[in-house]
Amino acid sequence: MKEAGKKGGRLLAGLLIVTAVALLPLYASPYTITTFIRIIYFGFLAMSVGLLVGQGGMISLTQTAFFGLTGYVVGLLGRERRLPFPVPELSGIAAVIVMATIFALVIMRTHKIVFLMITLALGQICWSFARQNTSLLHGWAGIRGIRPFPLVGIDFTQGSFFYWMSLALFLAGLLIMWRIVRSPFGLVLKGIRENPLRMRALGYPVYWVRVMVFVIAALYAGIGGILAVYATGIVTPTTMQLSRTIWILLVVILGGANYFWGPVVGTVIAVWLDVIISQVTPRYNTVIGVIFVAVVLLTPNGIMGLLDRTRHTFRAATARRRLEGGERE
Amino acid sequence: MSMKIATLILNGLTEGALFFVLGSGLTLAFGLMKVVNLSHGAFYLLGGYIGLSVLGATGNWVLALAVSGLSIAVFGLLFERTMLLRVRKGGDLPQTLLTIALSTIIADVALAIWGGHPQSIKVPPVINPPITVLGITYPGFRYFLILSSVIIAFALWFILYKTRFGAAVRASVDDRETVSALGVRIDAIYTIMFMLSALLAGVAGVLGGTFLQLSPGEDTTILTYSLVVIIVGGMGSLLGTVVSSLILGQILSFGLAYAPELSMFLVFIPMAIVLAVRPQGLLGRES
Amino acid sequence: MRKRVLCLMACVMLFAGALSAAPNTINIGILSAFTGVFSSFGEMQKEGAVLALEEVNYSIAGKKLNVIYADDQLDNEQAVTKAKQLVEQDKIDILTGLVSGDEGLTVGDFMKDKKIPVVPMYSASEDMTMREWYPYIVRATWTGAQPMDPFGYWLAKVKGFKKIYMIGEDYSYPYNQGGGFKRGFFRGGGVEVKTVWHPVPTSDYSSIIASIPLDQGYDAVMYNGSGGDAVAFVKQFVELGMHKKITLIGQSNTFEKPDLDSMPKEIVGSYSAMLTTDDLSTPAWVKFRDAFAKRWGHNPSTASEFAYDSMRMILRAIAKLKGDVSDKAAIVKAMLSVDMSDSPRGPIKLGQYNAIIENVYIRQIALAKDGSMYNKGLFTVKNTSQFGPYDPTLYLSQPADGRAYPPETASALPAEMKQVSKEYQFVPFGQ
Repeated sequence: MKEAGKKGGRLLAGLLIVTAVALLPLYASPYTITTFIRIIYFGFLAMSVGLLVGQGGMISLTQTAFFGLTGYVVGLLGRERRLPFPVPELSGIAAVIVMATIFALVIMRTHKIVFLMITLALGQICWSFARQNTSLLHGWAGIRGIRPFPLVGIDFTQGSFFYWMSLALFLAGLLIMWRIVRSPFGLVLKGIRENPLRMRALGYPVYWVRVMVFVIAALYAGIGGILAVYATGIVTPTTMQLSRTIWILLVVILGGANYFWGPVVGTVIAVWLDVIISQVTPRYNTVIGVIFVAVVLLTPNGIMGLLDRTRHTFRAATARRRLEGGERE
Repeated sequence: MSMKIATLILNGLTEGALFFVLGSGLTLAFGLMKVVNLSHGAFYLLGGYIGLSVLGATGNWVLALAVSGLSIAVFGLLFERTMLLRVRKGGDLPQTLLTIALSTIIADVALAIWGGHPQSIKVPPVINPPITVLGITYPGFRYFLILSSVIIAFALWFILYKTRFGAAVRASVDDRETVSALGVRIDAIYTIMFMLSALLAGVAGVLGGTFLQLSPGEDTTILTYSLVVIIVGGMGSLLGTVVSSLILGQILSFGLAYAPELSMFLVFIPMAIVLAVRPQGLLGRES
Repeated sequence: MRKRVLCLMACVMLFAGALSAAPNTINIGILSAFTGVFSSFGEMQKEGAVLALEEVNYSIAGKKLNVIYADDQLDNEQAVTKAKQLVEQDKIDILTGLVSGDEGLTVGDFMKDKKIPVVPMYSASEDMTMREWYPYIVRATWTGAQPMDPFGYWLAKVKGFKKIYMIGEDYSYPYNQGGGFKRGFFRGGGVEVKTVWHPVPTSDYSSIIASIPLDQGYDAVMYNGSGGDAVAFVKQFVELGMHKKITLIGQSNTFEKPDLDSMPKEIVGSYSAMLTTDDLSTPAWVKFRDAFAKRWGHNPSTASEFAYDSMRMILRAIAKLKGDVSDKAAIVKAMLSVDMSDSPRGPIKLGQYNAIIENVYIRQIALAKDGSMYNKGLFTVKNTSQFGPYDPTLYLSQPADGRAYPPETASALPAEMKQVSKEYQFVPFGQ
């Protein structure tokens, strides 16, 4: 009885949140909507990192490169060459799939630290290419004036319409991610995270599963990149720089890499912190770094991990109290 | 040989010298501790800035070099003892994450203290007379830099192969448990190696800050180059670092002359080739 | 728990949104680089702007002037984010600041439909007041080509230079500087400006310097860059002994103080052209310089002077409207009619496309009595426009300045760009 009630309560809470978020443009300021849109596109990037780190046990520092890649493709094809929807967007997705596959085929034989270093170097290659290439990518100026195309008569340059579209995409993305994680594929992935040797011994194609998950993660990053470039109107090498990559890694670990909701929770907190901190001090990076250190030292499973522990401690204390109370009776 | 080509080769040796000083500490620490210090670039930058301040206060370049090397070494010691040690039982990943976090903090604090404007360390004219050999005028400091890296290489080789400490390090790389069982304090070896790596990064910061510039963002560039150097050379291999530094230095120098737009990209090509063909690096071991 | 956190955040954000400007204040947003590699520019702009604001005690016609500083670190993406914040959250009436050309173009593009005046204080991208202009942009400072066209012409016509080897930073501002230079140079009889672009930033110029050909008759090497890059380049140029083999000249900002103080003394004698010079001595300049030095403890740089002028123009316009900033188009109109003939660097006024008409100074590096270097004025060119001596329609019919345009040789430049009806007059400095 209690279990059903608890489930009903959680469902109601979830519905309330979704409604409040969906109706945001009706009651919130434009700046709040802008902030939520930021949470959404960084949320995609965070999910990308979270899939690899949390579910797959691989820390990849290349995800921002995919985030930037779609931005550049959309900028080049959509803005500069004026190709209509959906050519730039689909080309961006295609580019991400191709690049992710090539990368993955090369690096998936490596593990752990080496994997991290190589993805870091790869991400840096992309960044430095974008920064130094002026003939095509305009160097550190990047491409500006990127605006979303009107679709079925809806003008997406309007903040609220863009918000609803992004929100819809985000919910879809969350749903798909949920299915992936719960599917047999997701379970195999978790198995590989825990013990790759054993999984290989059991006959699973570890290498190919890893390649596949890398491509899926890259897709998420790519979609986030498309939303980002339409939201800000600009793509520059800064999108792919190392400090961004580190930031998104922190976001995921802060939220709790091993939990499904970890990356999203981390993104909400981090974007929110950015808004608050930047009004108080320019030392945002120091604060982030210190938080990172604290999380790694004290609660390596992030905020979600902390909540979990508190809940367990609370439950244990309640159970103990009930036991003791019962005994006294 | 034309003057231009000769100068480019000399430039390559200068860049290579800096690459070596950067890569040598990093590769040795990695080979031993299996942890890559991703704050290496931040250590470089911090060392350079400390050297800049010391030079500004005392006017003594050699003192600046010594102070920055030592202060970064101490910094590394503190970091290693208070933080890395604590999470070591969790494996390599938490340690690596801590070094990432530290790099963010150092870079931002450096920005707050020394500001954003690019600065360079003034080299004392006595070490920097223009030296003209065979019609090529080249600044003396760059020759000094090349010479310094050779001395450092020799010193590292000596430590690694001619001292008991070096023997313990080499043995620990191969078999940590046995060495520990033999009564050698592994943790102490790790700490000393980390300090050495930090010392070299700080020294590189002063050397690099003298003929190049110190500015925000330099730390990530230097870190990237350091990683390329050790990936190509082979993680854990000193000789590998020598070889890769020489090659990459020349590539960077000629790249800057003939295709400046692709100069950084060209340096990554050997890394891509190595990863595809021989992932453990030119002289690294199979993992 | 999560629900509670989210609800709390929503409430805070709603509240923050409701905190808009009070009715009796005028909000001015200054968007610039206050941290990061270019933070010195933000500081310089702030110093100049504050001087102007303090002159009116931060109030006009009884209304309070509220200045909001936003830091974008000269990163274009941050610039858009902060511009959004200034417009949506802080509800600014006027946007100013802006340092780099790309930053200016990016913010300009973002502000296109916001109907708020945009007053770039340092951005020299000419397209802000040319191909990407819209009526709310008012620029009281300069464009990249503006000082370089007379400079190129002077070097060719008066100094007789025929071939220049140009090494430049690979982005839009040096393209524009190089473009203006080439046009003037070829008109004056110059034959070739060989162009080599290097990535920004570059620390090690030894390879690039080693590649300078010494046997092909180049009259000078121009370094088309500024800031840390310029300091590094010049140092290494001298270290490699090149100053003895070929003349060095610079773009407008190459030899600006305080960077000049970090450069080796061997470059005394090098030419450049800019909107100011270090030995200006008009009453307007002296008054400004002394007031600035008294307030901030050091002499003003060009960036500070630009900021001061721009802010003064804004304030004078607001005063003309008696503090009523509700009609943004009226603010622009007022700015265009403000008298700025008492500007410290020389008389300035606004012309077509809300762009500036002003003096350019051709100068040379000299040694002061105390041993430091400074830019000594040689000639003044009055009433230059952003189009140079060209007809605006002709100028705009040409491609925008880029990596490969204008061409490197005079013969490849279209004939109609080599003839103008009225050329510059070089008045000896001080007259």
